[in-house]
Amino acid sequence: MIRILFFVLLLCCYSVAKAQTSIDSIQRLDEVVLSDVKLKRYNEGYKLTVLNDSILRKNGNSLTDVLRFNSNIYFKENGYGMVSSASFRGTNASQTAVIWNGININSQLNGQVDFNTISTANYNNISIRSGGGSVQYGSGAIGGTVHLSNDSDFTKHINHRLQLGYGSFETENASYNVSFGNNNWSGNAGVSYVNTENDYRILGTDEKNENGAFNNLDLNLNLGYVLSQKDVLKVYHQNFRSDRAFSSTLLAPSNSKYETEDYRSMLEWAHVGDNFTSSLKAVHLLEQFKYFENKDLNNYSKGQAKTWLVKHHYKRNVSKNMALSVITDYSYITAEGNSYVDPKRNAFSATAILNHQFSSKFRYNLNVRKDVISDFKSPLVFAGDLSYKLGEPYTLKFNASKNFRVPTFNDLYWNPGGNLDLEPEESFQFDLGHQFKILKSIQLKLNTFYIETSDLIQWRPNAETNYWNPVNIANAKHYGLEVELGYLKQIHAHYFNLVAAYSYTETEDVEKNQPLYYVPLHKGNTALSYNFKSFTAYYQHLFTGEVDIIGGSLNGYDVGNLGCSYELNATGKLNYILDLKVNNIYNTYYENVALRPMPNRNFNIQLTLKF
Amino acid sequence: MISKKLALLFLSMTLLLTSCNNDDDDTTTESLGDYDNGLLITNEGNFGQGNASITFASYDLSVVENNVFNAVNSRALGDTAQSITFNGDLAYIVLNVSNSIEVVNRYTLQSVATINTVLNNPRHIAFANGKGYVTNWGDGGVATDDFLAIIDASTNTIETQTISVDEGPEKVIANGNTVYVAHQGGYGQNNIVSVINAATDAVSTTVTVGDVPNSLRLDSNGDLWVLAGGTPSWTGNETGGKLSKIDGSDYSVTSIDFAGTEHPSFLALENGTLYYYLSGSVYKMDADDTALPTTAELNGLNFYGMEVKDNVLYGVDAIDYTSNGMILSYSLSSNEETNFATTGIIPGGVYFN
Repeated sequence: MIRILFFVLLLCCYSVAKAQTSIDSIQRLDEVVLSDVKLKRYNEGYKLTVLNDSILRKNGNSLTDVLRFNSNIYFKENGYGMVSSASFRGTNASQTAVIWNGININSQLNGQVDFNTISTANYNNISIRSGGGSVQYGSGAIGGTVHLSNDSDFTKHINHRLQLGYGSFETENASYNVSFGNNNWSGNAGVSYVNTENDYRILGTDEKNENGAFNNLDLNLNLGYVLSQKDVLKVYHQNFRSDRAFSSTLLAPSNSKYETEDYRSMLEWAHVGDNFTSSLKAVHLLEQFKYFENKDLNNYSKGQAKTWLVKHHYKRNVSKNMALSVITDYSYITAEGNSYVDPKRNAFSATAILNHQFSSKFRYNLNVRKDVISDFKSPLVFAGDLSYKLGEPYTLKFNASKNFRVPTFNDLYWNPGGNLDLEPEESFQFDLGHQFKILKSIQLKLNTFYIETSDLIQWRPNAETNYWNPVNIANAKHYGLEVELGYLKQIHAHYFNLVAAYSYTETEDVEKNQPLYYVPLHKGNTALSYNFKSFTAYYQHLFTGEVDIIGGSLNGYDVGNLGCSYELNATGKLNYILDLKVNNIYNTYYENVALRPMPNRNFNIQLTLKF
Repeated sequence: MISKKLALLFLSMTLLLTSCNNDDDDTTTESLGDYDNGLLITNEGNFGQGNASITFASYDLSVVENNVFNAVNSRALGDTAQSITFNGDLAYIVLNVSNSIEVVNRYTLQSVATINTVLNNPRHIAFANGKGYVTNWGDGGVATDDFLAIIDASTNTIETQTISVDEGPEKVIANGNTVYVAHQGGYGQNNIVSVINAATDAVSTTVTVGDVPNSLRLDSNGDLWVLAGGTPSWTGNETGGKLSKIDGSDYSVTSIDFAGTEHPSFLALENGTLYYYLSGSVYKMDADDTALPTTAELNGLNFYGMEVKDNVLYGVDAIDYTSNGMILSYSLSSNEETNFATTGIIPGGVYFN
């Protein structure tokens, strides 16, 4: 029963208020099973898109691919599988925060996340929250946030999933995941590996993608233990290792490679009282890289950052309809590497959130946060959001926030150039959303947003010193429109599901009075799937408009993927799923970063065993 | 009207000077192609982004054509245009990140050959004894793999045999069969000039100069002028620049030191006068002077490269390194800016064709 409830909750994140008693029990359950309660609870006025298991499994284990085909985010990918950074609502690579089970995991060294160093294999769901989220998620949550969640399941079960795949360009992948639970325990463990030569043909030439081979290993282990009726203890651990050659461009050969390792561990104690809940988290994050200019030599430069974090979230129900949360955290961060002299940072933050359900139709949240960071002054940030249900099919949503991005260790301490006088980047933004639910089968979301960012940190040449310095110099404006449509249709045993998203994004570099680089004015994606008993077929389409680059532009393109799967022995204890997929069926030549062509048409076959 | 007059003035000056010019450049007044009688400018472009280009400009900057290599050859030039060296009718464009050299007709920019083997982080070329000597850093992070690659100038093929040299070979210049290589230091810092015998292709000696030598000029006596920028402050071991003259016969060195925090660059030499760039200003001195000038000729500049010809100083400004740059010209008689024009991205080198 709990499990069913849990899935219902996942599917309807903005579910309309039910009777008060059930809300209480649901909220208490959330504390136990969810890893990121804030994501569900304090976001009434934000657009949240949840990608569940079935969507995640359609794009291999690459987070870049999953989001490219299922969200408005544009990815600057340096060739397939290489370093990949996000542009969310036209913001830059360090203005999208990635949140792992409630914790911001953007690199302390460069502020970014390489979306090809996150595997989707071992998460229950991935959510995309559009809009500013610094109050709740800290630095870099300007365009939006991407949430990776491992949730707990305390029902009695044990499920295994084994997946083996092979595809073009000598791509091999294997993953295994086990999930288990009983009344006291829950756990899941997963391992996922991919290894590929990635030597796709460059369309229109006789050349291949040179020096593009890579392999990635992802390990996950999550455990939950019910200590008492009121206390739950949870452990999360994730380790990602990647060894990638850096592919050549059309004009520059490469012989280099990049090894990265990330370790993320968290211990959480959740306590559910009569009218309060408390969650205490202790977290350790480690990121490190080795860059080999010549992959055949044992000669590399390296960098490493470690974060120790303690976070406490206390929530008190002031009345039946009002809750107050206080979140405090302290972190200690150190870095080392060839270009730093052991920098350290102490950071403390305090956040207050008021959550009020004014009526069954109207809800709002008010948030305020202050950071105290050892190496610079940080602004007071705030956010407010509301949702108002005007009628049965229509809900109005609105949010406004001030957000920030702190200077990274590279910005402050890189030798030469690091600038200790930097201040955090700031943004002010708002977002107006409309949601329609028609006949339970159609869901339409329409959002308009405006973002103004200031004091953007950019590295500029310094005529005095002859080297480059980061300075708070640029300002930018972003505004646009997003449409998201979901349609579900059942005709007897035939199920059709259509999801389509379109975004229009205008940007302006205020200083230069020109659009920002690498932001498509238009981006659209759609996925259509059809299911009949054991058979499923699906088609994904991505349209990306032209983007401006330094001194020119990159052409827009259309890419389509087609796949089908068949489930054998669907009702038995052991079932097999055979999945065949053709990526880039139209054999489109396209680049997401100049001179770095993406793969031509390619094939992939997967066998999944569930028992 | 004024610019027309100036153009005429420049044209007449050019004619006057080319007629009594004893450079080994081919100097005929008849145009040999679209890009004869003017400047070629290398625009480095952004590292790794393959947007290097060549700009052609008339000497008075009234006629400017960007992206000329691409226009003539219908393909992209490459990644990070480092330098151009002329040899006979050919121009050799070194593309650092592409690890290649585009050999083109210097007047038409028509591609003749592409050299893309052996090279590893190529920087500059000088020609001697029928061969082109290409400085290469090797892997930037490795101090012991630096070398000179050798091009057979008659076939434009590269020899597999290379000359191993000290860390960070950069600028290179030849006088007869003597090839001088300034070791700027690559990603690090070095302080020597290697002397190579083009008859034997062996390093005959090394001469110690200032730290981080960035420019070389030969004078009419066959002596070599070396300007060293000094070690930058971020290393924690800052040294000032040094101007040195290496005697062409016995390699003895005479030097003038800059102050400990002064880092000069872009040495130019014309008719016994030296010019250099320091902290946004251009200074000039007589080659016989024993002390550095104290007042600048030009101020408020932001140069990424600089050359002097016919008493005109050409400077290139990379501006913010992500937009098109500029070339500016200054009269060295009046010290006034005479003209400017837009170039490609990150203009770095100015070459007189």
